[in-house]
Amino acid sequence: MDLTLLLQMFLASIGATVLYTMIGFIPGTDETAVLMPITLAVILAGVQPIVVLTFFISAIVALNLMNAMPTLVVGLPGGVMSTPMIPHAMTIKRAGLTHENIRKAAAGSLIGVLVALPTSLLIANLIASQAGVIKEYASWLFVFGAIFLSLMGKAKLLSLLMIIPLAMLFQSLRTIYWELGIVLPEKNITTSFFLGITVGPLLVNLLSFLIPANRSKLETDKLKETLIPTISKENLTLNPFQIIKKDESIAAMLASFFSTFVFVLSPVGLIILFGELVGKRKKDPIEKASTSIVTMSALAQSTYLSGIIICVVALGIPLSPAAIGPGGALFTAPPIFSMENNIHHALSGFEFVVAITMGALVAVTIVYYLALRYATQITTFVLTKIPHEAILGLFIGLVLLLAYMDAGLLNIFGVILIGFIGGYLNKLGMNFGIQFMTLYAAPFILSWFAK
Amino acid sequence: MKKETKYLELWGDLVNLKDLVVAIILSGSLTMLGYFLAPNGDTTKQLFFGLAGAIIALLINTFFIKPKRLISKSPSQEVD
Repeated sequence: MDLTLLLQMFLASIGATVLYTMIGFIPGTDETAVLMPITLAVILAGVQPIVVLTFFISAIVALNLMNAMPTLVVGLPGGVMSTPMIPHAMTIKRAGLTHENIRKAAAGSLIGVLVALPTSLLIANLIASQAGVIKEYASWLFVFGAIFLSLMGKAKLLSLLMIIPLAMLFQSLRTIYWELGIVLPEKNITTSFFLGITVGPLLVNLLSFLIPANRSKLETDKLKETLIPTISKENLTLNPFQIIKKDESIAAMLASFFSTFVFVLSPVGLIILFGELVGKRKKDPIEKASTSIVTMSALAQSTYLSGIIICVVALGIPLSPAAIGPGGALFTAPPIFSMENNIHHALSGFEFVVAITMGALVAVTIVYYLALRYATQITTFVLTKIPHEAILGLFIGLVLLLAYMDAGLLNIFGVILIGFIGGYLNKLGMNFGIQFMTLYAAPFILSWFAK
Repeated sequence: MKKETKYLELWGDLVNLKDLVVAIILSGSLTMLGYFLAPNGDTTKQLFFGLAGAIIALLINTFFIKPKRLISKSPSQEVD
């Protein structure tokens, strides 16, 4: 590893932090939808794997804290992971303590990163020796993963029933492309299907607008009013030990520590579970909300970091929700990464540690400072200057491009088909995780029926 | 009489249908234009040109479309 490479990693880290700080402040963006396409673009652009990993780790750390900012400052959810914080953030906001919200979340994030980083690397080391066995059964694991996630989800029976039909949808499109000679028989289209699933819920809404009757039902002429509090700059210390109380930091540390061991479980689920658990022990409503925010913010970091680090370093297959969804491109990004040859195979143990540590520390330092000093200013800037339409347009443009690059014009319709079906199933409760697992397992599932 | 502007909720925020259609068409066409301007067969360049188109579209859209949010600032009343 030479200096130029380290410099590239450092720049990638700064770039990811700046980019995802801005994206994080945009209300309503889904983590998978904003992380996957850009990471994929970075990989396909031929950036070295170690730089890609640094970029990605910085991106998730920056996004996880900054996604909480709109929630904490104005009560709009920045992303899925910050939704559980809303009631607590509102409690503190109503008490006129918005600055407390930001400080607690920033300090929580710092704890989450500092606890999850060493713990996840350690767990990854411990299970790496078993990885061979785990990988041999990869296809089965995806099938069991899909079943497991179905049983954990809101729509258990529907999800179970739809696994095979959905696998058929993926394989039938692949077969059409082979049959028509659009792609070579050895190429398994995955990337654009993945994107189709990701933008599914958005696509369902967009397509429903094409029906005038549907559209007029949803129309409103009232804008939502958002109040941005002014925060005095005084007394804003950067010292995390002055920001959070001792018992809050212990709660956040313990929650982060334990969450890394259950990296296969849903991050949002863990945030709700542990976050509410530690809050319950407090009587005072403000203290309760504050402890929950510190812990939830720490968990947002720890669940994502452990999910990515363990899968990338030890396993080489995406088995955690964070790796399956947002990190999907690190495992499959044809022609560069495939299940047999991805970021896990491209780097050595030492390179993993350097990339992950640098990515996490650079990002957390910058976002910690930015959040404490400029949270309201950035919120005001994003809310008044960046139109939602431009962001939606950007993502649709990216999907078009990647769909076309994967398998030509026909695949744009293929992606619309997958997005529509997947998005509708998602709305009914068959979540992203189950659909991604099914996509990975599709060739295997269909092989059971071969004669 | 001034025509009333209607908004639709999408992905957690409000959008105006006309603006959204314009944004999507501009973003889609500039992205694909970038792709086709790149030398044929060079996947990396095609991707880069496409992304450049997407970013140019993002900037144009950001410049011309007004965000549908009503923002007001509360006076400073927060003390430690």
